[in-house]
Parts: sequence; C-alpha cells; structure tokens
Amino acid sequence: MTAVGDPPRHAPDTRRAPGTRPAPGTRPALRQFLRATTTPAKLRLLLAGLVVLCLIWGGLAAWVVSQRASGANDVVGTSEPLSLDGQQIYRALSDADATAASAFLSGGLEPLAARHRYQADIAQAAAHLESATAAAGHSPAARDLAKLSAGLPVYTGEVETARADNRLGLPLGAAYLREASALMRGTLLPAARDVSAQADAQLTAASGQATGLPLALILLVAAGLLGYVLYRAQRWLFQRTHRRLSPGLVVASVAAVVSLLWLAIAFTVARGDLLQARDHGSAPVAALAQADIAALQARADESLTLIDAGGDDSFEADFKTVEHRLGPGPGTLLTDAVTAARGSPGAGSASAAATAATAWYAAHRTVRSLDDSGRHTQAVRLVTTSGPGHSGTLFTRLDGSLTAAIAADQVVFRTHAVAGRDVFTGLEVGVIVLALIMAAGCFRGLSTRLAEYR
Amino acid sequence: MKRPAWLRRPALLLMTLPVMGAVTAWAVPGSAAMTARPAQHPARPAAAAAGTTSCDPTASLRPAGPPRVAPGSFMAKIRARGYLIAGVDQSTYHFGYLNPLDGKIEGFDIDMVHAIAKAIFGNPDKVQFKAISDAQRIPDVRSGAVDIVAHTMTINCERLQQVDFSTVYFDAGQRVLVEANSPARSLADLGGKRVCATAGSTSIANIKAASSHPIPVAVPFWTDCLVLLQQGDVAAISTDDSILDGLAAQDPWTKIVGPRFTSEPYGLAISQQHPDFVRFVNAVLQQLRTNGQWAASYAHWVGTPVPAPPPAHYKA
Repeated sequence: MTAVGDPPRHAPDTRRAPGTRPAPGTRPALRQFLRATTTPAKLRLLLAGLVVLCLIWGGLAAWVVSQRASGANDVVGTSEPLSLDGQQIYRALSDADATAASAFLSGGLEPLAARHRYQADIAQAAAHLESATAAAGHSPAARDLAKLSAGLPVYTGEVETARADNRLGLPLGAAYLREASALMRGTLLPAARDVSAQADAQLTAASGQATGLPLALILLVAAGLLGYVLYRAQRWLFQRTHRRLSPGLVVASVAAVVSLLWLAIAFTVARGDLLQARDHGSAPVAALAQADIAALQARADESLTLIDAGGDDSFEADFKTVEHRLGPGPGTLLTDAVTAARGSPGAGSASAAATAATAWYAAHRTVRSLDDSGRHTQAVRLVTTSGPGHSGTLFTRLDGSLTAAIAADQVVFRTHAVAGRDVFTGLEVGVIVLALIMAAGCFRGLSTRLAEYR
Repeated sequence: MKRPAWLRRPALLLMTLPVMGAVTAWAVPGSAAMTARPAQHPARPAAAAAGTTSCDPTASLRPAGPPRVAPGSFMAKIRARGYLIAGVDQSTYHFGYLNPLDGKIEGFDIDMVHAIAKAIFGNPDKVQFKAISDAQRIPDVRSGAVDIVAHTMTINCERLQQVDFSTVYFDAGQRVLVEANSPARSLADLGGKRVCATAGSTSIANIKAASSHPIPVAVPFWTDCLVLLQQGDVAAISTDDSILDGLAAQDPWTKIVGPRFTSEPYGLAISQQHPDFVRFVNAVLQQLRTNGQWAASYAHWVGTPVPAPPPAHYKA
C-alpha cells in the first residue's frame, strides 16, 4: 500500500510515453494523480486499486455469506423450533379439548387411556409453551404466548372441577366442561393459532433470507467485475512489460476462481437443501398440521354435541363447517395436505388420512342419527369406545395417519435444513481468507514489477 | 330409562298413601267428577297480573274422559312414528337433568313425559328426549320439532298467545340463591349487583323488572349460573325455588333466601295445532294426581312432606 501516498514521479522515469505529461497545477490534485503518466505511477495506482477491490470483494462476499448462513441458522435454530412449538401447542390443546370432552362423555369413570392422553396433552402444551416463550423473545408471538400461559391453568382448573362434579353425579360438571371448552375455543386456541402463524411467517422469512436470489446476484456481479479487472490488469501488464504472467497475480486469480466456485456451489447446494426442506418438509408439515387441528376440532364438536345434548345445535353446525373445510375434496385442507405431501415420506400416511376421514364422517352420521332418534346411550358408546365402524376408532385412525405423516415430513425438514445450514460452515472465513490471498497476490505481483523500475 | 320411582321404592308409596287419600277426596277419577270442580287455583302468576293480555292462564282444555288414542288424532300419529318427542331440560337437577352416573335424562318433569309415553304406547320408554334451552321452548313447540315441552315452564298469558299448556302440574315461585356468607335476603338487597338467570325465562324478566335494579346476567342453562356464582362473577341467582333447590343441592355453600315473590305454575307446553293432545295430556295428569304417581315423583325428586298436587282447572 506504500505506493498510494507517493508522489507520481517519485521513481526514475525512463519509458515515459510522449504527450502524457500532467496538466499544469490548475487541475485538482486527484486528477493529476489519475492522469499519472509514468508506468510506475500507473503500476502503483493499479496495485492500490486491485488490493482495495480484493478487500471490498472479501467484505461483500463475507457479508452475503453471513446473511445466508444466519438465515439458514435461524431456520434450523430458531424459526423451525418456534414453528414446531406453535404447531405442537395448537395441536396439544386441540387434542386436550377433544379428549376432555370424550372422556367426560364416558361418565364418572372415565377411561384411563383418555385421562392419560389428556394429561400428556397438557404436559406437552406446557413444555412447548415454555420453550416457545424462550425462543420468541420480544417477537409479536410473545403476547399470545403470555395469554396462553395465563389461560392454561384456568382451563385445567375448570376441567378438573368438571371431573369432580361429574364424579359426584352432579349436572354442574357439564356446565364446567362447557365453560372450559368455551375458554379453550374462544381464547386459547385462537392465541395458539396466532403463535403458529407468526412462527410460520418467521420461518418463511428466514428461509427466504437463506435462499433469496438478489444478494447472490449482487455477489455474482461483483465477482464478474473483479474477474474482469484482474484480467484487464494482467493484459495491460503483459502489453506494457512484455513479461510472463506474474506468479502473484496468478495466485490472486486462482484464489478468485476458487472463492467464486466455492460460493456458487455452496449457494446452490444450500438453496437446494433448504428448498427441499421447505417443499418436502415444512410446507407439508404445516398443511398436515392444519388438517389435524381441524380434525381434532370436529372430534371435540362430536363429543360436545352429545354432552350438551341440546341448548342449540351449534357444535353439530361447527362439525359440518369443519368437515367441509377438512375434506377430502378440491380446495380442502386434507386434499391440500395430500398434494403438499406428494413425493415426501409422509405421502402414504396423508392419503390414508384422507380415506380415514371419509369413513369417520360416515360413522359420525350414524352417531348423529342414533342420538337424534333418542338413542343417546348407543351414540355415546360409538364415540367413546373402540370397535369396527365406531366413530372413536375411525377418528383415531385419521388422527394417527396425520400424526405419522407430520412426523415423517418433520424428519425430512430437519435433515435437509441442517444439511443446508452446514454447507455454509467455514465459507465466511474461507472467502475472507481467499480475499486476503487475492489482495496479497495482487500486491506481490505488482510490486515485483514496480521494483524493476527502481 | 330406569323404572319409575314408585316401583323401585315401595316405601315411597306407603309414605304417600295419606296424600293420595287427600287427593282422591277432591278428585275422583273420571271426567264426570272433574266437571264439578270450580276454578280454585291458589296462586295467580305474577306475569299474568302484570301482563297486557288478561286471561285465565291456568285454565286448560277439559279431557274427554280417560286418556285414549283415537284414530286420526295427533296421538295416533305419534304412535305411528314409534316414539314421543319431548323437549326437556338437561341441566336442572331433580327436574330435568342428564345424570352423569347413567347418562340418562331424569327428573320430575321427565316422570311426567314417561307417563304420557306410557299412556300412548303402553311403554314409558318410547320417548326421544331433545334437550333444549329455555329460549328454545316456544319456537320448538311451534315448529313441531317437539311434540311436548316438559321444562319447568311457567304458564302465563303472554306464552298462551303462542302455545297451549296442560293443566298445572307443579307450583313454584321465584326466590333468590346466594353464597352462604352473603348478607342479601332478596332482590331488594341486590341493586346494582349481577344476578343470573337463563335467557328466555320468566325469571330473567322478573330480575329486569325488579325495582332495586339488579344487573341481569343471562346464560343458556341453570348450571351455567351456578358456575358463575362459584367463580364470583354473579352475586346471586334468582329463579323458581324448584330450580334453586336443585342448584343448592349441588353446592352446600349456597343458601336460598327470602320469600317467594312470584307464583310460577308449571305446565306442559303443546302446539296450539293439537288441542286433542292437550286434552289427552290433561287426562294423563289427572290420573297421576289421583293414582299417587304424582306424589311419588314429588317425594322422590323434591322431597317430603308432599303437598297436594295442583288441582286441575279447566276452561268453562
């Protein structure tokens, strides 16, 4: 870098081109400097320019890499866990609502399996609530998570009161269960839905940051520019000095090519992995989770209709609405989930879920017609016990298929996202080191030539 | 459905024998004896007195003898269908409630329905219970969604414009339920406080009309009121003592205070399209009054001592 500050005509000038003397002192110093006529002066200028250019390139490349790597890191380390937490909270709470209702329906002596499932749901919701709260920080999801943390104990309290009253044979229990379910559906599930939506948005943003094209294009343009400058510099040097290519500049060129290749390969591979993670992982998982949550809501409706046994037919109306939304059929959640899961390991389970849903609706209609014709006890038995054609069994099949598909695609997501993130390992340091090698190569290559003028 | 209370508990039957004697003294089975009865219902409903429509609310259609399913009658249609459809309450302890222990709807109102099913089919269990809210009672009777409503339903002139009622089968009156440590003794002490009743009940109307201006809180079911009271969301529940008894029985830390301040005669609601069914039901009720079944149900669901059944009062 020494050459930059030196006066243009500091070195002995033997090969000055005619008519290229600088203009008299009226011109600004910079212009004089740029119009340096002597070859050593030009060499100095070139040296300085190339070194600065290499360092700028290194900085830019490192910045772009760090953006992508932090996006990929965010996907794997923060957004995906938060999104998963959001989905799990939503799912566990929906399941708790459906399970509490069907367990209540069984009477004072609720099945132990239902009791355990409810307790597992609450424990799971609480655990994911805690880790989501830690991951969310001050993001918009924090407020909804606080609402969930405050509401969950109130909900469980009401469910336990319902159980206690039910156990005493008091009709008050049903009122507490309705109250609990209203809290769940009116406050907790909407908050869980918001958390899930915000986490998904964050995941999409992080994934976009890790795979987006604009930054990569800027880097490509910068790389092209650098390559062009290096090429022109060496050509000029060859013409001026009629010397072989200087080893320094060759090293710099090789380093430039290496870093460009490394970047291109890393970006392509990481982008492929992360897109794979999204298309065959998080996207089907989100679609399947939505379908599962809708199915759980309908299941709770089925039980609550039998518990409520009147008042109004709002729960059955809600069941029909959810059935319509869940599908299968064009534009429904299940069909969308099957489409999204196509080609993923969860595809088989997703298709099985669609078939199971249709069978469950048929069983549900049997339950309704039994209940509507006054055979409440038989209707309750179809919902709460297992057996061929029982609504309870068929729902379990639907829920089980969806859960299996979700688990399978979650593995796909995790594997690809982690692979995509790991591609960036060492890249940031690598491009910085390569940029320094390039700068050093340029410096050495040009200063060797410059020395020949001394 | 389990067997009627008087079959399961012979002791009840013995206990109620004196009552039955008293009943038989004034109403001998058979229409001839009944025609002689003058209108002498003890309490007139408050709503009737205050209402714009003046009527004799408790006067119902006279039965044409013992209950009989005539060909072409509405009862014949019900028989052809195979079951009676009754709109009932599922959350009023001791009157109409879903018993969590056996998953069946039971109570005093429900006994009335079983008796009517027995009169039509010879089998008290040929009933499809449709649990409905207070607010749904009149719409469901009018639309034909149910054949009959047995749902702690007060007969009054306003409702008589829309549906028909049987003779009075139970006499209730509105009182106030508070937590055991509450100083309130009546609605007069609850001015500005939140007081709960179900939407569409006469009770909520009476709370709104109270001169002390309590804040009425309307919910779908009576048990919802008790949830609100236990959670401290309302200061009191005010409705018929029959219903309050059932709520107090579910929470020993509550008490019923103050005197009855309204009279609420309960009737079974039937569509105005089916006067033949009203007469039929009145004939069934008259049998219950005289054969001791009414008293047995009362003793089982409400308790002892068992009063005389509300006398039948017919239109002139």
